[in-house]
Amino acid sequence: MSFAVSMQNISKRFGMVQALDNVSFEVQAGTIHALVGENGAGKTTLIRALYGAMMPDDGSILIGGKTVKFRNSADAIGHRIGMVSQHYGIIGELTNLENLVLGSEGSAILNKVAMQARATELATSMGFEFDWDAESSTLGPAGGQKLEILKLLWRDSQIMILDEPTAMLSPQDSEALFVSLKQLAEKGATVIVVTHRVAEVFQHCKRVTVLRGGIKIADHNVDDVTPNQLAEEIVGGAVMERPQPVSSSKSSVRLKIDQLSVRGEKGDMAVRNLNLEVKMGQLVGIAGVDGNGQRELFHALIGVTRPISGTFSFDGSQWDSESSRTRITEGLRIIPEDRHEEGIIEDWSLLDSAALGLQRLPAFKNLSKGTKKQAPSMAEMFDTKFGRLSDEIASLSGGNQQRFVAGRALSLDAQLILAFQPARGLDLNSTTKVYNEIRRVCQAGACAIVVSFDLDELLDFCDRIVVMAHGELYEPQTEVARDRAAIGRLMVGAG
Amino acid sequence: MKAKIPILFAVSIAIIVLSLVLVKANIVQPIATIFTGSLGDARRISGTIKEMTPLLILGSAVYLALKAGLFNIGAEGQYTVGACFGSLSMIAIGGGIGVAVGCFVGIITGALWALPAGLIKAYRNGHEVITTIMLNAIALLMTKALVAGPFKGPDQFTPSTSMMPVQSRLVPLFTIGNLEIPQSFVVGIVIVLLLAYWLKRNVSGFELKATGANPTAAKFAGVNTKQVTVKAMLMSGGLSGLAGALQVAQFEHRFYDGFATGYGFDALGVALLSGSNPAYLILSSFFFGAMNKGGTALVILGVDKGITTVVLSIVIVMFAAIRYRKKEDIRE
Repeated sequence: MSFAVSMQNISKRFGMVQALDNVSFEVQAGTIHALVGENGAGKTTLIRALYGAMMPDDGSILIGGKTVKFRNSADAIGHRIGMVSQHYGIIGELTNLENLVLGSEGSAILNKVAMQARATELATSMGFEFDWDAESSTLGPAGGQKLEILKLLWRDSQIMILDEPTAMLSPQDSEALFVSLKQLAEKGATVIVVTHRVAEVFQHCKRVTVLRGGIKIADHNVDDVTPNQLAEEIVGGAVMERPQPVSSSKSSVRLKIDQLSVRGEKGDMAVRNLNLEVKMGQLVGIAGVDGNGQRELFHALIGVTRPISGTFSFDGSQWDSESSRTRITEGLRIIPEDRHEEGIIEDWSLLDSAALGLQRLPAFKNLSKGTKKQAPSMAEMFDTKFGRLSDEIASLSGGNQQRFVAGRALSLDAQLILAFQPARGLDLNSTTKVYNEIRRVCQAGACAIVVSFDLDELLDFCDRIVVMAHGELYEPQTEVARDRAAIGRLMVGAG
Repeated sequence: MKAKIPILFAVSIAIIVLSLVLVKANIVQPIATIFTGSLGDARRISGTIKEMTPLLILGSAVYLALKAGLFNIGAEGQYTVGACFGSLSMIAIGGGIGVAVGCFVGIITGALWALPAGLIKAYRNGHEVITTIMLNAIALLMTKALVAGPFKGPDQFTPSTSMMPVQSRLVPLFTIGNLEIPQSFVVGIVIVLLLAYWLKRNVSGFELKATGANPTAAKFAGVNTKQVTVKAMLMSGGLSGLAGALQVAQFEHRFYDGFATGYGFDALGVALLSGSNPAYLILSSFFFGAMNKGGTALVILGVDKGITTVVLSIVIVMFAAIRYRKKEDIRE
């Protein structure tokens, strides 16, 4: 049988790391094919090779049975291959129509009427609706995703690669996205979806390829494999159990947020009159689509942004008028969203990094003794792999940096843990370990708030889930407190 | 690319040597002259140490600011202000106390001179390079006016303060034959060592380094980065002011128009060249000092002293290219 895409014996090496080792990857036309694996398994490298963004050291690529050699992405686009990357390339200041045609305008002089006609035709064929003259900054994540897919159609792409397309979407929007993809596949398009969500594979995909450590582990028809089997292939061993979260909350309230309002970067009201009480022992998950005020809420609680009104206190201490330093002294611990910008200093050693953020605590009264004592145990907590403690933290892989940052946050007498996407860059089992440790610290009397865009992750680990939409918090009714669909409706503000 | 660099390096050296041979230039003699001129005998070594002393203290000042992520171009102005006001107390009070008070005044005035740059940077995000350059100009002209007017010594014909009383001047800490080790030089060494210790072991130093390396991460780590910025500028200015006051007490014994001869700018090179370890400030200020001192000897050969500046600049550029090269990104 001839494949729409056939990558044969692809190898690629980055420095010391064999990112891909003799990987073959075949995709039938007209199917949705999932490419799964943990971070660092080689998924991104493989699709970048297919998209011409990277030249493999070895191996060949056949498109529709013909051998091709891509020197750059333009070559790949010429072969009707398109990609929607994780961070999509929509420019907020341009209109939807301008974004759609950007880079593929067709002629030097733009004929807006003709362009708009074709755009509308494409959108209608997919069941999408766009206001072509509106600025793209008004689109939500789901709208952006749809526009990206239209961009591929605009360029007549027949092979579409989507990298973690649902990472930023609510359950309902994810569902809708796959409906569109199925429609495209039925018309003959070939869709490759890179994902780490096993559930998606089983609901929507026809075939699945598993990569691990740069090696192809398996190829399946989705119908021939069980979710458990697939998860084990991804992890390369037993998958750690995720015990149903039990509430360990006690009666006493530790964190009390009262009528908090915070402005966002653009001056908009990102957090509106928010109230939240977190009790001792609680692990609260904040579900929501990215950009609904989670970031600003965290920044206010940490103290890097000043709220415009409202108060919050921890154990009765009025934190809104205290410095970040005091909050840390009183037990605030952070696993920040953007590790590179907020969590580490890249050229610092692991020793110095161990004290970053905790430098005023008694454990670091003597800085050099403290770091020598603490750094090894922080690294050990989640099995951070490193050379020497004096190595730069930048020499660690992203996942190992995240393990270290998480270990640091949970090492020294944490009382309130604020974790923003703590599983970012982590494999399945490490994710479980990190959450288990947060839970353990909570059981010892602390409390935690976790923001994640992955609702399933929160459902797996948190004993209470609240939803943040348009800067406000919604608590699902008790009877649907763990109902995926009900929470999903709240996420898109349709409670 | 990596393999090409040594080849390029070798080829460029070959071209330079060849062209020098072609014009029949004598390259050995000037180099030898710089060496003998700076290190040839005890008297010349003393001269090198004298050149090195202000560079050592000013280098520490610039280095400290650099660690906080600030480029203190204003060391020259802070040095001038510190020397100008420090000299007044030294002359007026006299004796050991006069020197001590003068140094204190030097530190305070130097720090105050740096303060606006720190405040503007921290609270208005105005770039410190611009503000310190402006403050340099003001410092230079203001001290010029003061020393031509109210501060002018009654016994002076040029814009200058009176001379310090002989018995109040700092004498060398010790003298072996013609080799003199000035007290201010020892102060400079102590400052470097204290600075190294403070940056490595003290939590304030730790927070200052964090602020310089990644201000966002520092904020998330509970550091008040605005305060750190102001503090770093104050400390840097204070050290520069001290350098000026000590220069008066040890070597110049008065303040006059044209007192600042560019040590504050050389200090930028000194600080950059010492890289990540403050202890290297001693080596790099020695290198600058020796070049300055040896350069004066070149005049006999009819070679312009400026050639040493060219050499220093090339060294800094090469150093920067090697040290601050961007690491290859191998992340997936």
